[in-house]
Amino acid sequence: MSSTEQGTSSAAPAEPTTAPESAAAPEVPESFYYVHGKDKVVHKVSAGALQHSALIHGMISNLGYTEEQAKANPFPFENIDGDILQMVVDWCNQHKGKPTPPEDTNLPKQKEKLFDLVLAVNYLEIKELLTYCCKQVAMMVKGKSPEEIREIWMIPTDAEDEAAEKEAKKRAGKEAAGETAAAAGDAK
Amino acid sequence: MPTSANPFPLRSSFYHSFCILVCHSAVQLMPIRVLSLPVANLQYVLECVDTCELIAFSLCSKRTKNLVTASKRTIHSPTAYVFENHVHFVIREYTFPQDFNFELLRQSFKFHFYDKRAELDGRCEVWKKQEFTQKDWIAHFLKIFHQSTIHTLGIMNTSLSYLDTIKQFFPRCHRLFISADCSKELTKIAFFKLFPIAEKVEFMKNIFDDENDISKFLTQNFKSLSFKDHKNPLKLTLDNLLVLNITDLTIDVANIREKELNRFLKLWMKGNHTFYRPKVIKLSLEDEIEINCEEVFKGIKYEDVQYDEDDFPTFRLMRGDGKEIQVFIADNYIDFEVV
Repeated sequence: MSSTEQGTSSAAPAEPTTAPESAAAPEVPESFYYVHGKDKVVHKVSAGALQHSALIHGMISNLGYTEEQAKANPFPFENIDGDILQMVVDWCNQHKGKPTPPEDTNLPKQKEKLFDLVLAVNYLEIKELLTYCCKQVAMMVKGKSPEEIREIWMIPTDAEDEAAEKEAKKRAGKEAAGETAAAAGDAK
Repeated sequence: MPTSANPFPLRSSFYHSFCILVCHSAVQLMPIRVLSLPVANLQYVLECVDTCELIAFSLCSKRTKNLVTASKRTIHSPTAYVFENHVHFVIREYTFPQDFNFELLRQSFKFHFYDKRAELDGRCEVWKKQEFTQKDWIAHFLKIFHQSTIHTLGIMNTSLSYLDTIKQFFPRCHRLFISADCSKELTKIAFFKLFPIAEKVEFMKNIFDDENDISKFLTQNFKSLSFKDHKNPLKLTLDNLLVLNITDLTIDVANIREKELNRFLKLWMKGNHTFYRPKVIKLSLEDEIEINCEEVFKGIKYEDVQYDEDDFPTFRLMRGDGKEIQVFIADNYIDFEVV
């Protein structure tokens, strides 16, 4: 497994360098966790950045990992492409400890990845980024006609929908028949 | 061979257009399978889409139509104006701004429906749907926004034969508006054909003369009727007021004398326990006329209930059976309200 220590760029320093809120408050070292996507590239992300993800935040709270345990057990997200996870990690680092402004210029720009990004962000439960991504999807059809929307959003025609439905029914029928035959074979 | 950034140096405008085309198609090359998004995400995407694009989306397939219908987007006061060969359809979207306790108009969209196509006002855009008649366009719009009735049906200058078709398009409307552009004949026929589907009717032209008796209109049983014609005042008599069967009548401009208004009030006062359907009668007389209160209330016992010295006079008349009528007079305007 290859490993890169992401999330420690200048946009989101790994070590807390900012002054503590109160001079009297003791400085608590920031904890880090590790995540990887389909490409197995490990990203080091601070707990503060990961708070954007309700899913990961919940996992962290439940596990109570030490730094060593966290490093040894990166959270696997096999259903998310590496480049998509990278985008998500970058965004989380850039917005660590602060709310997303209404016009966020630090958001992923690659529209061709938007669909996968929505799925990933939805899975990771990053509400603010999800809101932004959905707005981006909506913006794709601004000022478009029905035919243009059909192309941009890849909407099947009624005939295509009907054909797909027939095909799905046929497949379901075959599978059911196969299961029945298998069950009959088992019974014998 | 020297290379140039512009391959068409002599035709820079063509090159510019070419670049725009390429950029435009680049957007087209990045499609997204929006219907494969998780349901909640798709719903949120549709919430973010403007009403006009949401309508365009609903026209893509049966599935997208159902999605838009399920999105519960609402529109206000859908209005249709009927012209010679097409229907002009207006929808409005309102918003509730924070710290306001009333709605504000956010935007409105205007469409011209023809068979097979809809034209968008202000966007120079035509949406084509080969199988759609005008009726289908209207039914589609009403269906996706959960509207069983339209707010206003305006009859502009159209043909008599088209009126029957119109009746099929709109099963109900709140307000039927018959424009001043309609001929006398068209106004009359439009009224009798369409008033059963409307709660309120507004005429913008005085069509009444010896051949067209106003009584036929005033005896109809419905909620509200309004005549507005500043050029040709509508001649009104005591008999017209006595046969009135409409709850709320407005005439602007009416031609009636104070003596007849006085007789009307006297008869109303005597009519103990008799049923009189009208609740509100609002009459505006010609501008140069100032209604004489003394003439109107001559011989009638009334109570002056003018609330403020600066207000116009308001009078209360009580009948033996306890029924009350309030009369408000302001210059050339008189308003009777049965309380």
